[in-house]
Amino acid sequence: MDFLLDEKLNIVKRSVRSFCEREIQPIARDIDHEARFPWEVVEKMGKLGYFGIQAPQELGGAGMDTVTYCIIIEEISRVCSGLGLCVTVHNSVGVYPLVAFGNDEQKKRWVTPLARGEKIGAFCLTEPNIGSDAAGVESTAIRNGDHYIVNANKVLITNGGVADICLIFTKTDPGAGHKGLSVIVVERGTPGFEIGDLEDLSGNRANPVSSIRLNDCKVPVGNLLGKEGMGMKIGLAALDTGRIGIAAQALGIAQAAMEEGIKYSKERRQFNVPICQHQSVQNMIADMATQVESARLMVYRAAAKRDRGLPFSKESAMAKLYASEVAGKVTDMALQIHGGYGYIKTYPIERFYRDARVTRIYEGTSEIHRVVIARSILDEYK
Amino acid sequence: MSLKIIICIKSVVTSAPEGRVVRTMDNCILNPFDRPAIEMALRLRETEGGTVTAVTMGPETGTIALYEALSMGVDRAVLVTDRAFAGSDTLATSKTLSAAINRLKPFDLVIFGARSSDSDTGQVGPQTAVFLDLPVITGVKEITRKGDELIVERHIDEYSEKYSLRLPGVVAVHPRAMQPRDAALSMVEKAFKKDPIEKVGLKDLGISSQGLGESGSPTRLVSMSKIKRKKKCEFINGSPEEQADELVKRIKSGGYLS
Repeated sequence: MDFLLDEKLNIVKRSVRSFCEREIQPIARDIDHEARFPWEVVEKMGKLGYFGIQAPQELGGAGMDTVTYCIIIEEISRVCSGLGLCVTVHNSVGVYPLVAFGNDEQKKRWVTPLARGEKIGAFCLTEPNIGSDAAGVESTAIRNGDHYIVNANKVLITNGGVADICLIFTKTDPGAGHKGLSVIVVERGTPGFEIGDLEDLSGNRANPVSSIRLNDCKVPVGNLLGKEGMGMKIGLAALDTGRIGIAAQALGIAQAAMEEGIKYSKERRQFNVPICQHQSVQNMIADMATQVESARLMVYRAAAKRDRGLPFSKESAMAKLYASEVAGKVTDMALQIHGGYGYIKTYPIERFYRDARVTRIYEGTSEIHRVVIARSILDEYK
Repeated sequence: MSLKIIICIKSVVTSAPEGRVVRTMDNCILNPFDRPAIEMALRLRETEGGTVTAVTMGPETGTIALYEALSMGVDRAVLVTDRAFAGSDTLATSKTLSAAINRLKPFDLVIFGARSSDSDTGQVGPQTAVFLDLPVITGVKEITRKGDELIVERHIDEYSEKYSLRLPGVVAVHPRAMQPRDAALSMVEKAFKKDPIEKVGLKDLGISSQGLGESGSPTRLVSMSKIKRKKKCEFINGSPEEQADELVKRIKSGGYLS
């Protein structure tokens, strides 16, 4: 058992950190403020392989494992969690289902441009009335000869505003409950494909979250991923993987917040000493560091289980639940250390505080994860 | 004609040394001064064709520098390592490196970084050139090919010099010569997929241990301590405008603005 990063992981961590600090950090505050998707940086990230981290090299990806993937997401999110979100969602629930369930023709057509970052992927499950209860999807895809006619109203879609290739969760058999759920790939530009206004988000504002509407979109049957009725299976597999990525994103935010808190506590003086010398602040520093480190171990362990081909659903749910709650607590403590200055946009901690909140909501809420974990534990002890 | 380039690099410790340094895989990185040198080698390969071989001398932790170089895109990596080399100063290091470089003959160009971030001497490049009996140019900002020669631009103080360098030759690259590339993820993965690091020991070099390692080092580090600098705090008085003017004046006269 080895809890240390090996040579490769050290090199990846350093090289991604150096890129992010040089290219993203100088604009991180502005792109949050302006809610702007920074194409100029995204293009560079694409060339370095950040959009195809786990896709096979023969399809244009980097072919890396999940632990490495987590470290990359953690490092990007440490600097800009809106971009960390973009990269993790693109990789885990955009590219991965196509690699795992696509046929050769589909992989060549979609995975390669996605892995190179030439196209951006989106996972479209959420609807106005559907969140955690995926089986209740109201979108429909009705087969008509060699086409489907797809009607869908998808909301809160991460990367929605820039998405080129969308995995649409829709009912091919509306009467069949979750067995009627299928995934159909719809490309931007298909007649009837419409991107809604960007949401005015609280955090992760560099990410163009939007609604996507499909109005009588005529999509070839060749765009069906897997088989009809496989939607639930594909969705669950994608979300298991996606959760690890969001856990890594939350970890990156927590790490960044902790660093800012520590830095500020050494600069700020009260009662003639830096506030880090006050025990109440030291308690917060100890708690932040301990929580960040334990979240990190859980995230890497869930990833390591996935890499070994072992079941990792429970571990990824635990890692996501814990890391997202740690991100909430740590950003809160780090903001507290900043006092009143933490509540204004001059210091980055204000941004991290907003960024952290949603990690407890998307990719499965904390409540849903507790259900998944409890079910799995009760199953083990039956 | 393509170029066969050798780039000599080093694994350095990241933390400031206090007492004797223990090198581990965790605290070692590729010497930052070697990055622009690797970049120069890779750009020459791109324009002229050929190969780039990275060489480092040191213990096992030297592989860190080599893996980083492979991740940036060098073709081949050689670790020169042996108990006999332990405790080398810059002279013994240069002697060992020159033997390792001779083993890679024929080559056209040997490239070094300006200096290392941990020992900061800048001696190994020029000394190795002397052992190889080859011409050396330091502070190199740019290299272009002209027939059988290289046109080498060197920056020193406020001046730029242009030399023609007959090959084979040695250059040491200016720290700000060029922005080194970021490692593409697929290149990092490839660097570790195969086992590309060749290990070379004393026997492989075919030289005697005379003049190598600690016994072959005429200099020896006796002690090391941090230099304490006195901090000076000064308040500028006057109206805000006067304070700002005075501050700008001091920044200018201090040479902080060029």
